[in-house]
Amino acid sequence: MTKPVLGFAGMTHLGLVSGICAAEKGFKVICFDPDSTRVAPLTRGEIPVSEPGLPDLLARNKERLLFTQDSAMLSVCDVVYVAQDVPTDDQGRSDLRTVDATLEVAFNATRGDAIIVILSQVPPGFTRERQRPGRALHYQVETLIFGRAVERALNPERYIVGCADPAHPLPAAYAAFLGVHGCPILPMRFESAELAKISINMCLVASVSTANTLAELCEKIGADWSEIIPALRLDKRIGQYAYLAAGLGIAGGNLERDLATICNFADEHGSDAGVVRAWIANSRYRRDWTLRTLHRTVLSKLENPVVAVLGLAYKQDTHSTKNSPSLALLAHLAPVRVRVFDPVVPASAAPNPHCHAATSELDACEGADALAIMTPWAQFGKLDPAQIARKLRGRLVLDPYAVLKAATCRAAGLEYHTLGMKS
Amino acid sequence: MITHQTPTPRKPERVVLLGARGFIGMAIRKELDARRIPFLPLASADINLAETSAVDKLAAALKATDAVVMLAALTPDRGRDVATLMKNLAMMQHTCAAIKKTGCAHMVYFSSDAVYDSAVSLVSEDTPASPQDLYGAMHYTREIMARSLAKVPPVLVLRPTLIYGLDDTHNSYGPNRFRRAAQKDGEITLFGGGEETRDHLHVDDLAALTVRCLLQRSTGILNAATGISHSYQDLAEIVARQFKNTVEIVKTPRANPVTHRHYDITDTIKAFPDIRFIRLEEGVARVHLEMLEKS
Repeated sequence: MTKPVLGFAGMTHLGLVSGICAAEKGFKVICFDPDSTRVAPLTRGEIPVSEPGLPDLLARNKERLLFTQDSAMLSVCDVVYVAQDVPTDDQGRSDLRTVDATLEVAFNATRGDAIIVILSQVPPGFTRERQRPGRALHYQVETLIFGRAVERALNPERYIVGCADPAHPLPAAYAAFLGVHGCPILPMRFESAELAKISINMCLVASVSTANTLAELCEKIGADWSEIIPALRLDKRIGQYAYLAAGLGIAGGNLERDLATICNFADEHGSDAGVVRAWIANSRYRRDWTLRTLHRTVLSKLENPVVAVLGLAYKQDTHSTKNSPSLALLAHLAPVRVRVFDPVVPASAAPNPHCHAATSELDACEGADALAIMTPWAQFGKLDPAQIARKLRGRLVLDPYAVLKAATCRAAGLEYHTLGMKS
Repeated sequence: MITHQTPTPRKPERVVLLGARGFIGMAIRKELDARRIPFLPLASADINLAETSAVDKLAAALKATDAVVMLAALTPDRGRDVATLMKNLAMMQHTCAAIKKTGCAHMVYFSSDAVYDSAVSLVSEDTPASPQDLYGAMHYTREIMARSLAKVPPVLVLRPTLIYGLDDTHNSYGPNRFRRAAQKDGEITLFGGGEETRDHLHVDDLAALTVRCLLQRSTGILNAATGISHSYQDLAEIVARQFKNTVEIVKTPRANPVTHRHYDITDTIKAFPDIRFIRLEEGVARVHLEMLEKS
């Protein structure tokens, strides 16, 4: 069997990463998007998202990649993925109109024997409702992690595939593509696959919420959460990859979407989602840790304080600021002068009228009464606390993600606060 | 979460205080005076809100541009029974009817943390109201009555924690009773070992917070608390330290289970990032000095 030709419809984060990584696996890939403002930069080799390794992959595989806004090009494809990112609103509700529109294009532009795979995240029940007579339709769980998308796409842990009837074998072309990754393939009914994606995220949120709840208790009673984490990782029931790092709640949009989906489904069907609502409340509460600590230590004590903020992205290695704790903090510091630096996100993203766009980390610290490190970019961890101390006017460092070492900061004369440890 | 209808603070044309001669009313009057904000203080001697005739009298006294602060209520020391509940509801009914007639620019309703279930230890504005007694039910009902006026004025509901200050006439378990007991008997009696934690707010802080909300025509629900809770034993020790003579702290057999109350004041910080509260040690000392000066 010759290698199938693959199509990816929707050149947002998910489709772009997935398409380029498929090319890296040796497949010819048609990358389609009807939006010329997305396609044109890609044809010039410009990538609009920040993902480590992606520019190199694009350069290395450009012979196998075709970026187009002409849907007719999809007619050469054996398998076409519908891979639009799904936007969410403030309540975490998905707007699925773009997915539906792209799916319609995929059905219309492909051959009758082509396989359509929905890769966009959709709620349970979505795929089965959109089956067409005589057409092969599947749903495949995406497990994209911002900042680690390439690594995850090239070396997936497993494939979860939603099928109309999981007893039937997967179509040969589709199975051939999945098979090159050498990982388990788990076919299941559509609804199970759609819920499996959410189930994974619920387990992650449960870990995160547990970690945050216990980390706060550590801060109050003098325990150190970082000492407890290794003990948990050695427990086989928890595991070495468990999400146990304390953080500022859930951000990025994807987990929030799944929480909202579960609450909506539970309300509709009368099942108990009390614990999910508690996770949401806990996430919101922990997100404001920096604001509460800043208020206690600086805002309630100094007239006209200046606060330095490092990091705007919701996490490291991404340009995304969706539900970013940093932006939430800056919005509530509206009356306060702030000095902001992020390696990728421009300071103009900060919702603060008194914002100074710093040119570097140390420029942000210049003359500030407090420093808040709101995104755990690796380069922030290389900062010298002694230099920070020289630049700051005050002594306060809020480092929720512990990118700096507490002992080094304290040795430099800084008042250091982090999650999971009494200050 | 509250919303400021006036992002930049602006003095209201006039503030009408209902319940102006009470402990909190007097403190708000002092704060309004200090900020040169005109106000009309009304007490039960001026208009008895429990009577039906209060509707016309209050409507005549009100102007559509007023900010109304509703403090008037029969507190639990005046009765915890159904009759007291009904009187309190009648007072609110008449107040709402008067506001409906004349209108007002802003309404601040003084509720209570009694609207929360006493078993909930960490409270925020998102905590569901679940009053456990008639007093809590009264305040929650009056909140809803106030909010039912929402189409006329913007409404703010303030839910204060335990308030203390020199002029507090109530003798409820806390700083005021401890101070009086220490002065009179040289001892402070605790329930059990005084393990329960509570958040105590100085009345001047409550008055200042109220006036800030008036200046920004804030709407929504806001708890009024410091965000720091102390055990009654710690409080007793703080009070005892104010006296030159030794004050004995007496523990008694516990009759009720220990409950705690902490406030998450994140919403207050978001509304007023520079807000600061008098620390309990400082506040108790201040009240003690005022007491000495007065005597």
